[in-house]
Amino acid sequence: MGGKAILIVVLGFSFIFLIMEKNIGSATTRTVGNMADYHANITVHNVAVSGANIAANKMYLDESWKDGYSNIDYQGGKINVTVDVLDAFKQIIRINSVGTYRGITDTVQVTLQPSKFSKFAYYSESEGAGMIWWTTGDTVWGPFHTQDQMNIDGSPVFMGKVTTKDPLNLRLNADPKFLGGFEQGVDLEMPSNNIGDLKATAQNGGKYISGQDEVYIEFAGDDIIYKYLETTWVKKGKKKKKVTEWVTETIPAATFAPNGVIFVDDAVVNISGTVKGKYTISAGGNKSDDGNIYLEDDIVYETNPLTNPSSQDMLGIVAENNVYISDNSVNSNGINIEAAIYAQNGGFGAENYATRGPSGSINLLGGITQKIRLPVGTFNWKGIVSGFSKSYRYDDRLMSSFPPSFPSTGFFEIVSWYE
Amino acid sequence: MGVSTILDIIGSIFVGGLLLLILFRLNTSATGTLYNSNSELNVQQSMISVVEVLESDFRKIGYCKDWTKIPDPSKSILYADSNSIKFLTDVYNDGVVDSIYYYIGSTSELSNSPNPRDRLLYRVVNTEQAKSSNVGITKFTLKYFDALRNPINENPVSVPALISSIQIDVQVENTEAFDSVYTVAFWRQIRLAARNLSNR
Repeated sequence: MGGKAILIVVLGFSFIFLIMEKNIGSATTRTVGNMADYHANITVHNVAVSGANIAANKMYLDESWKDGYSNIDYQGGKINVTVDVLDAFKQIIRINSVGTYRGITDTVQVTLQPSKFSKFAYYSESEGAGMIWWTTGDTVWGPFHTQDQMNIDGSPVFMGKVTTKDPLNLRLNADPKFLGGFEQGVDLEMPSNNIGDLKATAQNGGKYISGQDEVYIEFAGDDIIYKYLETTWVKKGKKKKKVTEWVTETIPAATFAPNGVIFVDDAVVNISGTVKGKYTISAGGNKSDDGNIYLEDDIVYETNPLTNPSSQDMLGIVAENNVYISDNSVNSNGINIEAAIYAQNGGFGAENYATRGPSGSINLLGGITQKIRLPVGTFNWKGIVSGFSKSYRYDDRLMSSFPPSFPSTGFFEIVSWYE
Repeated sequence: MGVSTILDIIGSIFVGGLLLLILFRLNTSATGTLYNSNSELNVQQSMISVVEVLESDFRKIGYCKDWTKIPDPSKSILYADSNSIKFLTDVYNDGVVDSIYYYIGSTSELSNSPNPRDRLLYRVVNTEQAKSSNVGITKFTLKYFDALRNPINENPVSVPALISSIQIDVQVENTEAFDSVYTVAFWRQIRLAARNLSNR
C-alpha cells in the first residue's frame, strides 16, 4: 500500500517537473529569442547605416551619381539605396538607405547639399609653413578648415567643427577645445578656378561688367550706385577730342542684378555701403591690380543679423586675387565689414598695412576663405604700430545659408542624418 | 503483526520520508529555476525595451527634419552629467525642434519595491510631464568623450559642446527576487556618436 502511494507521489512530482521543465525551456528559448531579435534589429540597422555611408561616399566621389543600389548583399542582409532630388535648384539631395535582415527592415535617410566655402569662419590652404600657431586666448567661432598642418600650443578654443587635411601638431601639454568636433584627413582643396560659375550666373540674370579698368559699386539699400569711367568724343572746332570722365548711376538693385550676382571682369572693384538683400560681388582678372576688391568704407547689412537673426541681408565678396581694405581717410578709424570673403589666389589684407598708421579695428561679421594669409597691420608690445587690430565674428546664418552662387567646395556635405 | 512487519513499515516510512524530502527539495529548486528563468526573460525584455528607446533617441541628438532649424548641431546638447542629459532633437520627425531630458530618480521613490536598488528612468519631452515606468533599472550612467576621444571628466560637463561621443551604461534587475537573488542584465553602448552632432 505504502509502496503504491510513494509511486503515485513520484509520478505526480515527475509530471509537475515535466511541466516546469517545459516552462523553463520555453523561458530560456524566449530569452535567447529576445536577444536574437535585438541582435537582428542591430544588424539591420548597421546594414542600413552602411548603405547610407557607402552611398554618401559614392556621392562624395561623383556628385552626379543618382543610381542608387539594388539588393546588395551585406552582412547577411540586403542594401537598397535610392537617391531623391529634394530641390533641383539648390541641389539638395536625399539618400534613402533601406537595410533588410531576416525579414526586418530599417531605413536611414541622409540629406546632403552642395558645400560652399561661405560656411567657413576660417579657411586656409597654408598655415604659414609652421609660423602660425593657435594658442591660448585664440577663439574661432564657426567652422574651420586648413589644408596645412595645424599647429597648436596651449588651449585655443574652436567653437565650430574643425577639419584638417594633415595631422595636428600639438606642442607638449597642448589642450585644444574643439567644441564643434574635430576630423582629420579631410582633403578640401580650393579649386584653381572657382569663380567661373559666378561669371556665368552674372551673365545670365545678374550684372556682368567688362571693358572697365576700375569701377565703384556702392550698396545703398534698395539701390546700387554704380560709378564707372565713360569715354566720349567731344567736338572741339573741327576736331573731336576724347574725354574720359566718371559717370555715376543710381539703379534699383533689383534691376541692376536681378539674381544677386555681380561680376566685374578684368578690373579693380571698389565697394562700400549698406546691403539690402542677398548679393555676391566678384572681381575677375589677373593683370596687375585686376581681380582685386577694395573696401572703400564700411560695408554692412541694412538689417543687422546679430540683433535680428531673421535678417535676409547677406553679402559675398569674391576676388580672383585679393580683398583689401583701402588706405583712405574714412578707413583710418576702423572699418565694419559684414560679408563672407573669398580670395581665390590671394588673401584678405589691408592696403599699405605697414605704412598707413594705426587705423582702428576691423569689425568683421562673416568668414574668410583665403589661399594666403595676408597682414592687416604691425604690432609691438605697446599695441598697434600700423594698420588694424582684429575683431572677427562668425555670422551663424552662414551655417545654413549662403550668398548667391558663392564658390562651392565641389563636394556635398551632410546636413541631416535620420536613423 | 510480527517484528518483520513493523520493521517493513518503519523502513518504508523512512525511505518514503527521504524520498519526499528529496522531492520537496527538488520542487523548491525547480521552482527557483523556473522563477529565475522567467526573471531573466523579463529582465532582458525590460532591458531591450529601454535600450531601443535610448538608442533611437540618442542617435537623433541634433537631428531636425528641417535642418536649418538646428544650424549648428554641435550645440544640441544642453546639459550633461553622469546620470542625466538634455538635448535638442526632432522627436516626432515633424520639423519642429524638441528637447528630451533623461534623468534617473532616487531609490527612495521605489521604496515599496522589494529590490532596494531599482529606480525610475525619466524621459521628458519638452515641457510635458515626465514619463517613466518601473522596469527595474538600477544603473543609468553616461560617460562623455571629446572630439579627440579623450574622456571628459567634469561632472556636470561645463561645456556640453565638447561632447563628441557618449558611453551609455544601463543595468536592469528584476523588481522581486526568489531567495533575494536578483537577476541582472547589463548593457553598454560604447562611444555612441550621434551623426548630427558633427555633420557640419
